[in-house]
Amino acid sequence: KMASFSIRAARPEDCPDLLRLIKELAKYEDMEDQVVLTEKGIREASGRRVGSLVAESVAQVPICSAFLELLEDGFGEHPFYHCLVAEVPKEQWSSEEHCIVGFAMYYFTYDPWIGKLLYLEDFYVMAEYRGLGIGSEILKNLSQVAVKCRCSSMHFLVAEWNEPSIRFYKRRGASDLSTEEGWRLFKIDKEYLLKMATEE
Amino acid sequence: LLLFQELAKYEDMEDQVVLTEKELLEDGFGEHPFYHCLVAEVPKAQWSNSGQHCIVGFAMYYFTYDPWIGKLLYLEDFYVMAEYRGLGIGSEILKNLSQVAVKCRCSSMHFLVAEWNEPSIRFYKRRGASDLSTEEGWRLFKIDKEYLLKMATEE
Repeated sequence: KMASFSIRAARPEDCPDLLRLIKELAKYEDMEDQVVLTEKGIREASGRRVGSLVAESVAQVPICSAFLELLEDGFGEHPFYHCLVAEVPKEQWSSEEHCIVGFAMYYFTYDPWIGKLLYLEDFYVMAEYRGLGIGSEILKNLSQVAVKCRCSSMHFLVAEWNEPSIRFYKRRGASDLSTEEGWRLFKIDKEYLLKMATEE
Repeated sequence: LLLFQELAKYEDMEDQVVLTEKELLEDGFGEHPFYHCLVAEVPKAQWSNSGQHCIVGFAMYYFTYDPWIGKLLYLEDFYVMAEYRGLGIGSEILKNLSQVAVKCRCSSMHFLVAEWNEPSIRFYKRRGASDLSTEEGWRLFKIDKEYLLKMATEE
């Protein structure tokens, strides 16, 4: 097992690895079938508006619309999310190539009482690379981003059954707002939004 | 800001509104908006045509991201002054929000509701809302600045 690792901001060419880890996390959360960003062919993808950045990456990786959406949404003109990735050297004797073994996806939200917040959307380290301090280091980096961007707090969701994660966060000062203040997350899906949008 | 304080009062957390007008202005209308708002206004006086209006309700929202389905519209705050409820203002605001969501190609709209807030829960469920906390077991956590600073500066 490699003891050395590094954390850095994700780059557009990391999207295939991000997608891979997003799917691994989905599996861990047992909801893999709900990943609806499906893989389609290049013919469908070419119908979309794509920038030169996409054209460059297209040559090197398998094309799928999930990858293209992830690329545009995170690295286009207006990023809807940011990512940190954790990488380890591919071989102990080679300093060149690296493998991405963990990631954190975050963006900024807003609380009208206290201002900007950092919202941690996804956080995952591959099973084989846990227990090495990678998770702690990612969280440290996230904390630095939050402080630098003048965020009052970091918010995130944890599934009630995910005891290892709950312990991990509570050790670092996390409070459970759902239990303490009774907040419940609701959603209104697109079919109902369309219904309301077009109602007379 | 006045309406934020009213909403805070409704939620019994008045003294926790520490945001200033200056911050609100910069954060919403500066170079990079961190939030967007819709406001509901009524004419000030029935007999006056002066064009003056009073803001009696608002919705604050921004865009979030779900790596499984893409862009989402996140409804942060939603409030109509008590004297102006039951007139369809809330429904109209929600309709406008839905139009924004559809236009911006959002897959869903997410928001928090306090478990004791039965009128709001009914309002949203009537319009197709599902309770993800109950259905999927999600709990909202926070790590406040003092702990973030601690982690940020740890060796």
